Amino acid sequence: MTTLSRRDFLKMGGAAAAALAVGQFVPPSVAQAALATGQVNAQGDGEIATMCEMCVWRCGVLAKVRGGKVVKLDGNPDHPHSNGKLCPRGQAGLATTYDPDRVLSPLVRVGKRGEGKFREASWEEALDIVAWNMLEIKKKYGPEAMVFSSTHNLSQVQFENLLQAYGSPNYGTQRSLCFNAMIVANLMTYGMEEPGRSYEGVKYIILTGRNLAEAISNSETGTLIDAIDRGAKLVYIDPRFTKTAGKAAEWLPIRPGTDLALHLAFINVIISEKRYNAEFVAQYTTGFDELAASIGQYTPEWAAEKTGIPAETIRRIAQEFSDAAPNALAHNGWRTSNFVNSFQTERAITILNALVGNWGVTHLPAGGEESGALGKPPQPGYPRISALRLDGVPWKYPFVPLKLGVFQELRDNILKDDPYQAHGWFISRQNPAQSIPDRRKTLQAFAKMDFIATVDVIMNDTSWFSDVVLPEASYLERYDPLMPMGAKAFIRQPVIEPQGQAKSALWIFKQLGERLGLGDYFQYADEEDYLNQQLAPTGVSLEEVRAKGYAELPEGEAEVYKWNTPSGKIEIKSSTLEKAGFAAIPTWEEPPAPKSGEFYLLTGKDARQTQFATHNNLLLKKYDDEPRIWMNAKTASENGLVDDDLVEVTSEVGKIKVHLEVTQAIRPDCVYMTPGFGHLSMGLTTAYGLGASDSDLHISYTDPISGGQALSQTFVTVRKA
Amino acid sequence: MTKQHAYLFDATRCIDCRACMIACSVENNVEMGESYIWLSGAGVMGEYPDLKRASMPYHCMHCLEPDCESACPVGAWHKREDGPVVYDASKCIGCRYCMNACPFQVPHFDWNKGIIEGAFIRKCTMCTQRLEVGQVPACVHTCPTNALVFGERADLIAEAHARIAAHPDRYINHVYGEFENGGTSYLILSHVPFTELGLPEMPETPVNAVSEAVMEGTIPFALAWGTVLSGVAIGINQMNKKKTPSSPALPPRGEGSNPPLPPVEGSGVRENGTEATK
Repeated sequence: MTTLSRRDFLKMGGAAAAALAVGQFVPPSVAQAALATGQVNAQGDGEIATMCEMCVWRCGVLAKVRGGKVVKLDGNPDHPHSNGKLCPRGQAGLATTYDPDRVLSPLVRVGKRGEGKFREASWEEALDIVAWNMLEIKKKYGPEAMVFSSTHNLSQVQFENLLQAYGSPNYGTQRSLCFNAMIVANLMTYGMEEPGRSYEGVKYIILTGRNLAEAISNSETGTLIDAIDRGAKLVYIDPRFTKTAGKAAEWLPIRPGTDLALHLAFINVIISEKRYNAEFVAQYTTGFDELAASIGQYTPEWAAEKTGIPAETIRRIAQEFSDAAPNALAHNGWRTSNFVNSFQTERAITILNALVGNWGVTHLPAGGEESGALGKPPQPGYPRISALRLDGVPWKYPFVPLKLGVFQELRDNILKDDPYQAHGWFISRQNPAQSIPDRRKTLQAFAKMDFIATVDVIMNDTSWFSDVVLPEASYLERYDPLMPMGAKAFIRQPVIEPQGQAKSALWIFKQLGERLGLGDYFQYADEEDYLNQQLAPTGVSLEEVRAKGYAELPEGEAEVYKWNTPSGKIEIKSSTLEKAGFAAIPTWEEPPAPKSGEFYLLTGKDARQTQFATHNNLLLKKYDDEPRIWMNAKTASENGLVDDDLVEVTSEVGKIKVHLEVTQAIRPDCVYMTPGFGHLSMGLTTAYGLGASDSDLHISYTDPISGGQALSQTFVTVRKA
Repeated sequence: MTKQHAYLFDATRCIDCRACMIACSVENNVEMGESYIWLSGAGVMGEYPDLKRASMPYHCMHCLEPDCESACPVGAWHKREDGPVVYDASKCIGCRYCMNACPFQVPHFDWNKGIIEGAFIRKCTMCTQRLEVGQVPACVHTCPTNALVFGERADLIAEAHARIAAHPDRYINHVYGEFENGGTSYLILSHVPFTELGLPEMPETPVNAVSEAVMEGTIPFALAWGTVLSGVAIGINQMNKKKTPSSPALPPRGEGSNPPLPPVEGSGVRENGTEATK
């Protein structure tokens, strides 16, 4: 058992800083700057406002510092995503920053790939190696032979800048493994990626697999619990009795892959009983008549057969939902790409909302993360890109937005050299070795590369297979670009000096850009200059933003009844889908089902972990559950299995061994694993050896419309190991 | 009069996220193998598909008439007027009577330190260091769903009864800790029987009303017994020290996790890189 107190790793942080100070004088600029803005006193004690990065929700944080060390993190009451609160991951952020496994120096591989043998290198040398290889690949094979991938972080805008300036079309994000189905369905229906949601005054909520109590979005989770407390009814649909199910008035343990049938039947009841908001539908939607003409077949009785939920329950919920409208909300969910029919499921959910006319009440225009009020450094235009994207966007997946992409297809096409061969991969804070289904193939794709470089805070599994690892400063040690949110722009600023030689992504991308001959695209002297250029049009000084934690921006008048669709209305029948020959109104698609003796393999979330990045955090490990595979108690007993048995789980593409958790909280035909465990990197000394990876089992299936990976469409057998 | 602080926990709002436990660990420098808050409660109850969930962060109840204080032969325990039950390590002789006396089984012995390095009993302190600067305890401060709130005990009792009155269908009609064991400063509302949250069924008369009478004049006995226990503890400590922890066995790499590797160019990358700088 690892025993390490916070004090121990505080000491380590100090030792690393001291070691660096011997060779190189580093002025305590963070402390001095914080002193100047009055955030800390002369002893270096105080509170600095910044932003969390333990997940992508980005809560405001007040970091308590004592003499150059950060000792406690609290939620910032001024930030709408935290309201003064932090979730377990946010609270545990110190253990990520002071992780004894942090990579604190640039590393260059000396052993075989995957052997984990590296030597320390200077930044000069490491950056030269990365740039030289990227230039070689460009020279020999063209810029398209270099793949770039990064996921949802505040520095991503400069990552995208680097990729576009370099001239590669190949951009891999994690989004197709998560919410492509939801985003593309919203674009088709509402002309926006994700409408906002309001729980203020909500009386009826349907969550379809949106496990808000465990997949915590801090402020949204809090407001959901408030709404339930006020008396709102929560109907929760999930094959698992999650912690959100525990808060629901009704839990519907649906057969996986049939959420579309359930929502089609809700729509059937609402239309056949004339429960829709006729005025709203007539004024603001198109295609209602076509929907009404085809929905008759999807009766509650029909859906009961598919879903396993009684017809009278389906009918009653549809009635209750429309009775509560417009104070009713059917949540789109996030990680919704679970079956190839998930896109149609998402469309059905968006249409259910539109029919009851909850727009402007519980369902709102999207509040974007981009703001025209902020400036940015000047730069030349990007080179024209003529090469096709390896992930099939848009030549195979015309509706997938370029910035979403189809990650699993990118990996598969690297293996097939289709339509050409990739030679290098530059990865920033992303862990495809864990995240993309069918991990064996991902490792084969790494093996095909001439060169791999990663930017990360710790030695994640992808870094482990890299040729060069560039150490990024943790979120408590660096600036990132300002993040606009409504009428404010929030700052992530360093609260302590970077440990070791870690540097911000803004610095790393600029350095790399200059070495690639792309210096004109990075016209900022340093991080503060970048933020100053962002703030220039607002007239707010960086000093003021640093002291307050945010800048006030002029707020544009948001038009409520405006949708960026071809018709300018909410498209129940999508003209775009119709032109392309896809089902233009939601239509039932039968999902595949497991054979006898097989189980649906479900994935989900645990409140202590984020995706594939937090498992090495000692504080999260301290309070997390042991990662085991769930099986229904009755099923286990029928199969002669008992709690904690070591079992072998086999899918078409892989096999793992993991311990069994016997529980009542799951359908008898399903098993469940929390994703992200089963790390390959031995550089993660806390996480290595914990649990198993569901990516070893998942099969790649891509939804042809949204490009989403059908994550629950993998079936497995389970036997005693 | 000083405010008697208390916590109110509402199990219907708790999502078992454990932010409170991590916040406590950081705030109070709790060692990795230790915790002042532990997860209590049945978790999932019932049989598929008729299920319920209940959980609770369990920590010191901060009794109005603490049994630890009554049981302590040297006065190391003390109920402060403003709420917390606090411990003075400098007085403690390590007899661990408090551990036996506490009906909630809260105080625990720090075996890492033991008696040799100074007796250490560990438990929730109500974050007295935060109370002193006008802040609420760390667990309460971070709770994302406000399942934990903090305030004056009398106000919270009124608040708890108001919640029950507003939703009699939702709650068990009882505020745990209002009278249990003579009253506690950790008050609990629940949708399931309190025993399902791991709380003991407790008489309203504090256990110590009985024990206090017995305890008077037992200091010599306590000291003698303390010495015996100290001996045992030293022995155990020595034994523990002799055990060297073995490094954890690493599991075999999963089948298929070692793909065919490309021909290795070794340090070729570096030489190339050096060239590029010329």
